[in-house]
Amino acid sequence: MRPMTWRLTGWLTLVMLAMLGGTAAQAHPHVWITSTSELMYAPDGSITGVRHAWTFDDMFSTYALQGIESKKKGVYTHEELAPLAQTNVESLKEFGFFTFAKADGKKQKFEEPVDYFLEYKGGFLVLHFTLPLKAPVRPKVLALEVFDPTFFVDFKLADKDPIRLIGAPEACKFEFQRPNDGAASAQALGEQNFTDGGNVNFGAMFANKITVTCP
Amino acid sequence: MRPQLSRTLVLGALAVTAVLAIDGVMHLLAAQTPFGGPRPPMNEQAGGIIGWLLAKQSEFYREMSSTIRAAKTDGSAVWALLAISFAYGIFHAAGPGHGKAVISSYLVANRETARRGIALAFVSAMLQSLVAVLIVAIGAWLLNITAKTMCGAEKIIAIASYGLIAAFGARLVWTKGANFIRALQVHPPVPALALASVSASHGHGGQDHADHDHTGHDHGHHQHSHFQAHHDHSHDDHGHAHDHDDHVHDEHCGHSHGPLPSELAGPGGWRRGLGAIFAVGLRPCSGAILVLVFALAQGLFWAGIAATFAMGIGTAITVAAIAVLAVSAGGIARRLSRASDGSGALIMRGIEFAAAGLVLLFGVGLLTGYLFAEPLTCLQSIL
Repeated sequence: MRPMTWRLTGWLTLVMLAMLGGTAAQAHPHVWITSTSELMYAPDGSITGVRHAWTFDDMFSTYALQGIESKKKGVYTHEELAPLAQTNVESLKEFGFFTFAKADGKKQKFEEPVDYFLEYKGGFLVLHFTLPLKAPVRPKVLALEVFDPTFFVDFKLADKDPIRLIGAPEACKFEFQRPNDGAASAQALGEQNFTDGGNVNFGAMFANKITVTCP
Repeated sequence: MRPQLSRTLVLGALAVTAVLAIDGVMHLLAAQTPFGGPRPPMNEQAGGIIGWLLAKQSEFYREMSSTIRAAKTDGSAVWALLAISFAYGIFHAAGPGHGKAVISSYLVANRETARRGIALAFVSAMLQSLVAVLIVAIGAWLLNITAKTMCGAEKIIAIASYGLIAAFGARLVWTKGANFIRALQVHPPVPALALASVSASHGHGGQDHADHDHTGHDHGHHQHSHFQAHHDHSHDDHGHAHDHDDHVHDEHCGHSHGPLPSELAGPGGWRRGLGAIFAVGLRPCSGAILVLVFALAQGLFWAGIAATFAMGIGTAITVAAIAVLAVSAGGIARRLSRASDGSGALIMRGIEFAAAGLVLLFGVGLLTGYLFAEPLTCLQSIL
């Protein structure tokens, strides 16, 4: 009887560990992206879109380049990488380009990406693309998040100048929050319905949140 | 021993089964989303142990690429690579595609031993590593195909694997369902389950009944490990229909038939597990493919292969631990059910039937998830 009780305790512990292990494994990223983003403004001060430059991690970069022919070994031109860039933007579409924008609390939609290309720099692939907003907006507060709700892709804002406002009115200010800022998990509780409502977005805790305020 | 404790333990065993079921469902969800990432119905916090595990796992994964680079100039870095890969395998094993839930359910359904569970976990993990190595060796090294083309091969293999799991589950459901129905006929469920004392079962170990005439019995795998002392095992005198895994004796004894080690070692024993090994081990993990392609590009393919197998061993350890957990849960339920009379056997048949159903569910779910959701599990098809 006592050994039975012990064993039961042991199992429950193991079950707990198994559950934790399972959860962690499922939320574990396989692709790392270092991102820099530019917010594009029209002359009238409205935001027209976002231009991203995403640098993939070396393992993914190597994997993506597997079998891609280049004239010069280890050097890939934009043309040689064009089919891959095409694949990228096509598959990214399904995930809303991991870019979520709210203008004064209202969710914004993006058009198909334009001006996209891949460059190969120092062993890393960098994907450049522009996401035009369906309709330009001129909000007081624009909230932009770049993250993968499933956390398969781990987004990190670049260390240097991750955000730039291009052609924004003088008075506009921006701030951003990295996932490791600690405030992120508290923020996730309030922002859990940010993308599609209903489910808690696990990846939201790892979101890079950018806020632009224009008076 | 108090009946309450017995009941608690049965509940514990059921809880374990439930956890496995939930886990399996999570895997199904995971399989349905592109990227292998789950549609996250998760509501846990990022901090604490999970956050730590997450961070650790990412760390190991990320260290792999830098360690492979380092190994180019410093051969001793390969040891570090092996250690990292091994650790990563342990952490990562619970992820989709590793067949943890399938193996566990299979073990519970077939009332396999822990030892067999461990063996299954290891063999299927090694097969998984081998498949990954073969894909990259043939696809990338020999043919220099693109990642996209390689992904096509991976998809075909994945579909084959899921199809096998489904077929395997269907077969289990068929046999276990028959057993369950038979048990139902012998012992219709009674409202109050009389869970008798477990302490009544004294082990008298070592009694070998392998020499019983079991010809014609469909004994999947079990010895007669009779814990009940002083029992007359004159089976020939009973007119029992021994065509199911456990003897549903409608009188006196509570036989529990576990696998006999000699039965496991026999060639037939391995053949039984082969289906499970193939079903689970066929599908390679994309992490391994990634590491292999990276190692190949660095001119260190052999290091990538070593890392893949180290990862496989780590994976096997986690899967084996969970398999042992499942087997123990099944074992405790069986011991308790033996103590009670007929309804106990019925419960066992029910649990086995449910576990068999889970295997089928995983197979069908994985298959349909893969066929009908956007089939984007290869990293390449996403970015």
